[in-house]
Amino acid sequence: MPHLYFAIDGGSGGHLLTALAGSDPYVRQVASPRHANLLIIVEPINQKLLPAVIEVAKALPRPAHALLVRTDENELDQFPGIDSTSLEENLPGSRQITANSLGTVLAAVLHAGQGAELNLLDTSESQEETIQLPPKEEQEMATELAVLSLGPIQPFTAGSLRLFLICDGEQVVSARVESGYAYRGIAQAIMQAEWQRGLVLARALDPLAPLACQLAFVRALEQLQGWLPPVGVTMLREAAVALERVQNVLWWGVRFMRLLDDAFLTERFYGLATALDGCRSLLWQEPPKIWIAPQQNLTSHSVGRSEAINHLGQVLRGVEALRKNVEQNRWLTLRTRDIGVLSAQSLRIAGVSGPVLRASERGNGDVQSRLVARLDVTVDDLERAIEVLAASEVSSAHGAEWQVPAGETRMIVQGPRGDIGLHVVSNGGERPAHIEWQRPSAVLLPLLPEILAGQKLTDAETIVASLDLAMAEADG
Amino acid sequence: MNTIVLALLVLVCLLVGTYGIAVLQQLILLGPRRAGAALQWPIANALLLLRQEDLMPRGADGFLFRSAPFIALAVVSLTALVIPLGPHLIGFDPSIGLFYFVVLLSPFVVSLMNAGWSQNSKEGLFSTFRAAAYLVSYEVPLGFAAIGPVMAAQSLSTQRIVETQAGLWYVVWQPLGLVIYLLAALFVTFRHPFDSALAGDELEGGVFAEYSGPRLLLFKIALDAIFLILMAMGVVLFFGGWQGPWLPGPVWFVLKTFLLAGIVLWAARFLPRLRHDQILSLSWKILLPASLLNITLVGILTLFIPGGGR
Repeated sequence: MPHLYFAIDGGSGGHLLTALAGSDPYVRQVASPRHANLLIIVEPINQKLLPAVIEVAKALPRPAHALLVRTDENELDQFPGIDSTSLEENLPGSRQITANSLGTVLAAVLHAGQGAELNLLDTSESQEETIQLPPKEEQEMATELAVLSLGPIQPFTAGSLRLFLICDGEQVVSARVESGYAYRGIAQAIMQAEWQRGLVLARALDPLAPLACQLAFVRALEQLQGWLPPVGVTMLREAAVALERVQNVLWWGVRFMRLLDDAFLTERFYGLATALDGCRSLLWQEPPKIWIAPQQNLTSHSVGRSEAINHLGQVLRGVEALRKNVEQNRWLTLRTRDIGVLSAQSLRIAGVSGPVLRASERGNGDVQSRLVARLDVTVDDLERAIEVLAASEVSSAHGAEWQVPAGETRMIVQGPRGDIGLHVVSNGGERPAHIEWQRPSAVLLPLLPEILAGQKLTDAETIVASLDLAMAEADG
Repeated sequence: MNTIVLALLVLVCLLVGTYGIAVLQQLILLGPRRAGAALQWPIANALLLLRQEDLMPRGADGFLFRSAPFIALAVVSLTALVIPLGPHLIGFDPSIGLFYFVVLLSPFVVSLMNAGWSQNSKEGLFSTFRAAAYLVSYEVPLGFAAIGPVMAAQSLSTQRIVETQAGLWYVVWQPLGLVIYLLAALFVTFRHPFDSALAGDELEGGVFAEYSGPRLLLFKIALDAIFLILMAMGVVLFFGGWQGPWLPGPVWFVLKTFLLAGIVLWAARFLPRLRHDQILSLSWKILLPASLLNITLVGILTLFIPGGGR
């Protein structure tokens, strides 16, 4: 029995859904809910996104099934922006699973037909949200403008975002961005939790890059505690975060190439991404999220495992070959060059960092240069990680320390989409007095209307995809 | 009675051939190691769609929405009639067979436009405009590419065009015509990389965004079938049709058709989906001048190649 599924990503399912789409020949993702017999929803779904989810569920032809996927990281009760019960109530007949791995989700998808059918009784249709067009100019020859509402469930960001594009034919005249569909209230949740619990919640800021967020929190704590980690510990932490950045770039590459419908490059990215995930699982006895803890002098680990490092070397060579291919691929260039150009100066003013800024500083800031810049960063990260992992020695470990004296600190960690910053204020109590995150995707959102105006409709989606927006992180 | 039997035979051949194309696509997508899945997927998918609800969106134009997939399939079936599978194996062989074939391709695109227009959604409307733009731009190069073999055979009969290639296939001295024909064939069949009217994720499935169940299945069959027909006509025009040594004519024809289809589908994997304006530029700025050049070259070559201008 084949499964044609339509996927809704609440913000934390980017990698999982991307991996799922190529994992089994009998499980295929479709572009329209009308073509699907299965709805996969990766939680959390907040109150703003819920109506759109229900509309999508109604659009599925019957018989249909729904699978609610809750990842390990999503302990939904902790987030003030999420009402975890309303989704199940609104989608009677849906089945909920907790995803520990891609295999768990795939098994659930393959057996989805054996469960209860989706049973939505309300058949009323809500009005599609739109925006008012600008007043029509009295010209003898003028085309009529149209508002095209893309999203909030769309394939070009990881998580939900709505774009209102005012189009003159295929030309985007202006754009409006509506975010907040992946908002969970991370900062408030951390401030209401104890320090140790805050470490777990910090991972959820960007569910696609939990280690980088966690490391920012850990370093802030250590700085407040006045503890400086040994060089070896710092390097191993950096290596773990670097491999996370690589993982993000490779899965983003799969999503981006799928959007362009380039089967060959999609396969190449997919192969490298799965190979890297294999290496990461071999590399550590305990996952880094366990051993990156404040004042932990490291680790229960198996660094230096030659097999994993050899595999990482193969991934590195694969990425280098891919980079060469991407640069020399004339057809890809045709679709990606000279569109969505962002100047380095405007990016610096907006506070943008990471591969997007690098693409504008070292290239001409278009979609192609962002693609190349991400692969460049990946090559650098892999080289550094291999070097560190091959050289590091085993140290003894001791327990993490959770007493945080009064003080204030700012910390920045390089995440896959740019610098993840954290401002922490402690009054010496059990909980943080103030938490504020600097979110790299969030600073890109205000730039979208400017960058999309004047572009072709098709390019608009490619441009947004090239920015690799993680909406959970952008909405906070 | 003979006509009914013949029509049924053509339909059966078309459905079997379409299944073959669907399997070929899956083989290229999944790789030969998953041949079992490639063989099963088209049937499993068809059964799944047959079980599904046949939905129609609110505010849709009921007649156009419901009729569009039937028109598409009917048009494909009619074009299949003039494809010669063997020396005496052809639905019907009018003296203007190739002209009939090219003319009938337009209603196929019109059926897709009906599908997009009727569904009362902006995604469908944008896709319809794209399909309409392609309708004009593919026909000219496709027709001009087909003129080369017509000039050489001095006939519009498809069977006659095959017979005149007994000594030398036209691809040998009309390779440019073949390239233009194949690119234009990808246009008309909305195949990757020229599939922006169907649009995949870009516009939620484009003209098919609101179709579900059996009608979606009909469209999928029609799309695969029209691709099969265009590849078959490519074999007729450039690869000597059913002609070949040792094996019976129909076997040669099927082998050549699927080989050509496989090569085209495989090569398309390496390309990203082109933007609609790039597709139109390719048609008007490159394919059209190239097809005129091809006609000129063929005109000259027919004077020199033995049997070229019979």
